[in-house]
Amino acid sequence: MSVLTKQTRGAATLAVPGGKPRRARLKRKNQRSGYLFLLPWFIGMLFTIIPFFASLYLAFTDYNLFTEPNFVGLANFQAMFEDPRLLQSLKVTFIYTFVSVPISLAAALLIALVLNRGLQALPIYRSVYYLPSLLGGSVAIVMLWRYIFGNDGIVNGFLGLLGIQGPAWVTDPQFALSTLIVLNVWTFGSPMVIFLAGLRQVPAMYYEAASIDGASRWRQFRSITLPLISPIIFFNLIMQLIGSFQTFTQGYVMSGGTGGPADSTLFYNLYLYQKGFTEFEMGYASAMAWLLLMIIAIFTAINFIASKFWVFYDN
Amino acid sequence: MMKTVSTPISRRLVLGAGITAAGLALSGCGGGSTTAAGGGGNVELNFVYWGDSNRAKMTDAALRIFEEKNPGIKVKTEYQDSGPYADKLATRFAGGNPPDVLNMANRSLLEYAQRGTLADLKTLKELDLAKVPDTVLSRGEVDGKLYGLATGVTTIGMVVNKAITDQAGVTIPDDKTWSWEDYAKFATEVTQKTGGKVYGAGYDVSTETGPIMLARQRGEDFYTKDYKLGVSEETIREWFQYSVDLRNAGGFPPAGFFEQIGGSAAQSYLAKGTIASQIIPINNYKAFNEAAGGNVVLLRIPGETSGERRGYSADPSMLWSIAAKSKHPKEAAKLLNFLINDVDGAAETLTQRGVPVNPEVAQSITPKLGKDDKKFVDLMAEIQKDELAPAYVYPKGASVVADTLKQLATEVEFGRVTPADAAKTFLEKSNAAINK
Repeated sequence: MSVLTKQTRGAATLAVPGGKPRRARLKRKNQRSGYLFLLPWFIGMLFTIIPFFASLYLAFTDYNLFTEPNFVGLANFQAMFEDPRLLQSLKVTFIYTFVSVPISLAAALLIALVLNRGLQALPIYRSVYYLPSLLGGSVAIVMLWRYIFGNDGIVNGFLGLLGIQGPAWVTDPQFALSTLIVLNVWTFGSPMVIFLAGLRQVPAMYYEAASIDGASRWRQFRSITLPLISPIIFFNLIMQLIGSFQTFTQGYVMSGGTGGPADSTLFYNLYLYQKGFTEFEMGYASAMAWLLLMIIAIFTAINFIASKFWVFYDN
Repeated sequence: MMKTVSTPISRRLVLGAGITAAGLALSGCGGGSTTAAGGGGNVELNFVYWGDSNRAKMTDAALRIFEEKNPGIKVKTEYQDSGPYADKLATRFAGGNPPDVLNMANRSLLEYAQRGTLADLKTLKELDLAKVPDTVLSRGEVDGKLYGLATGVTTIGMVVNKAITDQAGVTIPDDKTWSWEDYAKFATEVTQKTGGKVYGAGYDVSTETGPIMLARQRGEDFYTKDYKLGVSEETIREWFQYSVDLRNAGGFPPAGFFEQIGGSAAQSYLAKGTIASQIIPINNYKAFNEAAGGNVVLLRIPGETSGERRGYSADPSMLWSIAAKSKHPKEAAKLLNFLINDVDGAAETLTQRGVPVNPEVAQSITPKLGKDDKKFVDLMAEIQKDELAPAYVYPKGASVVADTLKQLATEVEFGRVTPADAAKTFLEKSNAAINK
């Protein structure tokens, strides 16, 4: 954005010396189109803002879906500390997030670097790697995953060729979550596309200067690429973190809604859903939603503080 | 040189995007059902149930007769699998937009009834309950009010693929007198004689109907008359231990073998030919026989004569209920009356939802039944000839009990807990969940 404003300012000054009216007109025009682009989001917001505040109120009630909610103060939040399944769901979600986010970001950056070196059929490769991101959260892909990792699936078929008896990836509590982590890593496409866009922004002249100075490729990557795309890495990290804290579909479809086998894929949001819709404890479920918001907020805040030490804003 | 190099993302943008993404989760995912106004009738009833397309076809045929007999009433139906059905039903009630006539699971009845969401069927004049036996009515009664009416009666039974046992040269024991030990011996023999290609037993350890029956055979009530958990820790331990022993002996498949047990007959392991026997709700016998090649025999559950008492009971396959908030209670009652008492309607649905609860209706459809459905009806009648122990409405929290059983069954399956510890945990968690 700063690129744009700086350039327009420069251009305006050149064309109309002291031309304030034109600049103001342009600014107004930009503002108008800005608001126009925001409009769909704003309309969508109207539909989410009411449930948003309703859930805050319900978090302090014993709402059971059928009868009028009664105010119960902090009882829901207190009950959370003594709920072993809630702790289990936090454990599952944390493991999932902290294992799959770094791996998928690394994979996304690696592929983006390779694609950025000017492959001939770049659009095709880009689409191929991006496709899983569009599909990853969908029910059909999770079903497909069940078959691929099923007892008669291709993964165990391949292991069988090597003489290895593969485990029950989907039904064994020891492996079910790792199967889903692999699925999540596989959907690295959307951070990859953002990385790719970021890499394109790094001016070639820096690399030219560096190679004249005799810097190795690794050195160039460390000293030019990484600092200049660090805001992009930061952005991707935050978005992936939030996304995986909120994982629902994968766990729901893989386990048929139970979070099984033996609660090993009981994601936080899946448990929240069970509480709200199968156990009819909507007050508790709302409180859980707000706890998740707080958890995400804390992790995001930590990241923002930490970002001061490694993210480089060149403006 | 002008400094124009900059990445197009600022700190503030990252923060903004993050807040938006996190906030969206709080508002949950929206979406609901809209009822399109149908042409023709003056009153449109919304009628929902769970089941597959085959059941839907039979139901639709019956409903067309209802609409002919009741001009001015139009019935709009929706159906899903039982899992998503239960979720959607809860949201519709919560949203104040419940269906008029609906399917209710035994384990959810009290949950809904005690929250005042269901109509007392006894107060509806249009519904004639004169022919329905008291034992059937009792399964839908809560505090003297009738909230659910059995769609039909059924129970569980053992199905054995005779094509497999014949080929293996294993004789099926007499099911009138076989014990659980006999069944284990039989299952192990099948596995041995097929060289491990087929496992002799493949019943579902994690569904509550099994332990419910075992409890009754051992002289206990899984759920008691006053809506409590009556099953002993020892019975649950035994139920788990039996499957562990059977697995160790080879009669039951190894841990992780079942990936989606409880699905439709066509997707069952019995149909795939990798197991030789399974426990099913016996009104599904026809579907399993057809799916597994037509040589499947229907048997009683083991242990009926070797235990303290009979374990069988005639259970509602599911219940019909009417929403208390229905805008057309009169018409809804008419529809329910049709489903229970109308001979022409029953001629279309036959035993799809169990043996009809009105004996006259049951009688009238007998000549129309195919060979497999006849076998089911005959077994049902034969079981009911003896005096059976009473069974009661499931307590509030029964769905949590069912989930707990499922979870612990997996833990036991993979040897993560012993049957004894699992039984202890089961009682603790279930007692905590019931009537909470």
